[in-house]
Amino acid sequence: MELLCCEMDRVRRAVPDANLLYDDRILQNLLTIEERYLPQCSYFKCVQKDIQPYMRRMVATWMLEVCEEQKCEEEVFPLAMNYLDRFLAGVPTPKTHLQLLGAVCMFLASKLKETIPLTAEKLCIYTDNSIKPQELLEWELVVLGKLKWNLAAVTPHDFIEHILRKLPQPNEKLPLIRKHAQTFIALCATDFKFAMYPPSMIATGSVGAAICGLQQDEDVSSLTSDALVELLAKITNTDVDCLKACQEQIEVVLLNSLQQFRQDQGDGSKSEDELDQASTPTDVRDIDL
Amino acid sequence: MSEPSRDAHPVPQGSKACRRLFGPVDSEQLRRDCDALMASCVQEACERWNFDFVTETPLEGNFAWEPVWGLGLPKVYLPSGPWGTRDNLGGGKRPSSSPVLLQGITQEDHVDLSLSCTLVPRSSEQAEGSPGGPGTSQGRKRRQTNMTDFYHSKRRLIFSKKKP
Repeated sequence: MELLCCEMDRVRRAVPDANLLYDDRILQNLLTIEERYLPQCSYFKCVQKDIQPYMRRMVATWMLEVCEEQKCEEEVFPLAMNYLDRFLAGVPTPKTHLQLLGAVCMFLASKLKETIPLTAEKLCIYTDNSIKPQELLEWELVVLGKLKWNLAAVTPHDFIEHILRKLPQPNEKLPLIRKHAQTFIALCATDFKFAMYPPSMIATGSVGAAICGLQQDEDVSSLTSDALVELLAKITNTDVDCLKACQEQIEVVLLNSLQQFRQDQGDGSKSEDELDQASTPTDVRDIDL
Repeated sequence: MSEPSRDAHPVPQGSKACRRLFGPVDSEQLRRDCDALMASCVQEACERWNFDFVTETPLEGNFAWEPVWGLGLPKVYLPSGPWGTRDNLGGGKRPSSSPVLLQGITQEDHVDLSLSCTLVPRSSEQAEGSPGGPGTSQGRKRRQTNMTDFYHSKRRLIFSKKKP
C-alpha cells in the first residue's frame, strides 16, 4: 500500500537569519575569504590538453539542465561549477571523464546545500548510464581529495541578500530583481570568462544587470545607472570600471544566450513542454532588451 | 520506494537532460585514473604532514609526531587494547555499535596508533602565522589549510585492500 503524505514535496528551509544578513562583518568576511576558492589558473592554457572551452560549456549546460529539472537550490549549480573549475585547474583530465566529473561536482554541491540531495543513481541516469554509481562514489573521493575537502566555497549567491538590502529599491521589487540576478549568476557559471572573477563581482554585476534590464519595463530604480553602479561598487568594494565591464559582459552573455534560445525555438526540434521546464530561458524571455 | 522524498522529482521519462556528452566512457581507464589520483592524494598528504598514512608511520620533516593516550574520546573511536579502556568510558550512546566495530576488525586490518604532531619551528619561512588572518600575501594563503600547531589524536583504520 502506498501512503501519500501532503508534505512530501515540501523542502524544509531555515528562515533567513537577520543576524547573519544584517551584520556587515559577515559581508566583510565573505569578501576577505572569497578569493581562496577561485581556480588557481586559467586551465585551458596551462593544464588541460584534451579539454576545450566548448566542452566546459557543454558540461555546464548539461549540469544546469539537471539542476533545473531536479529543482535544486539555486546555489547548487554555481557551487558545482566552482568544484569543477578548481579540479580542472589542478588535474589534467581527458574529455571522456568530464561528464563524470560534472556529475560528481553536482553530487557534492547538492549534499552540501540541500535538505534532500541528489542521489548517485539519479545522476548516473542523467549521464545516460554511461557511468555507474560505484564509479561516481569513487571519484567523489578523488575530487574531495584534490579540493582538499574545502567544499564550503563562497558563491555569488552568498552576496545577493547583502547587496539587495543596501539598495534603495522598494521592497516589492526585490523578489523580481533577486530572481533575475540568480538567473544571471547561473548564466555566468556556464561561461568560463567568469570563472576567475571574484564571486562578489559576479553578484554585484548580476544585480546591476538585473536592475538595468528591469528598468526598461518598469520603474524599479530611482537611481541613474551611473549612480547605481557606484553604489553597487561601494557595497562590495569592487572597482567601478571592473564592475561596469563585468556587467557589460553579463549583458553580452545574456544576449548570446537569448539568440541561442531563439535559434533552438526556431528549429522546432524542441517541444514547448521542454522549454517551459527550464526556468532560466523562461526567465530570460521575460527580459525585454 | 526507499527514498520517497526525492522521488518528488523523478527523472522524467525521455528527459532531454539524460544524455552522454563525450561518447563512451572507458571503465578501465576510469579505474586506473582513479587509483592514480588517489595515490597522488595520499602522496601529497604524506609530504604535507611528513606522515605515511598508509603504514601509519611518522617520517622526517616539519612535524614531530608522538603517540598520545587518554584523550577521553568516545569509546567508539578508541582501539581495543591496553589504552583502549572501552569499559570505563561512559557515554554508551551507541552501545551496540562499538563492540561490533572493534571486534569486526582483525589485527591485520588496522594499526592502533594515536598520535599528536607538533610543528617543529624552523628558521625563516617556517614561522607559523595564526590561521584565519586576512590572507593577502601568497604565503599566507598557502597557510590557510594548515592545522594549528597542535594536532590532536590521529587514529585511522586501514581496511585490507579489496579489489572489486
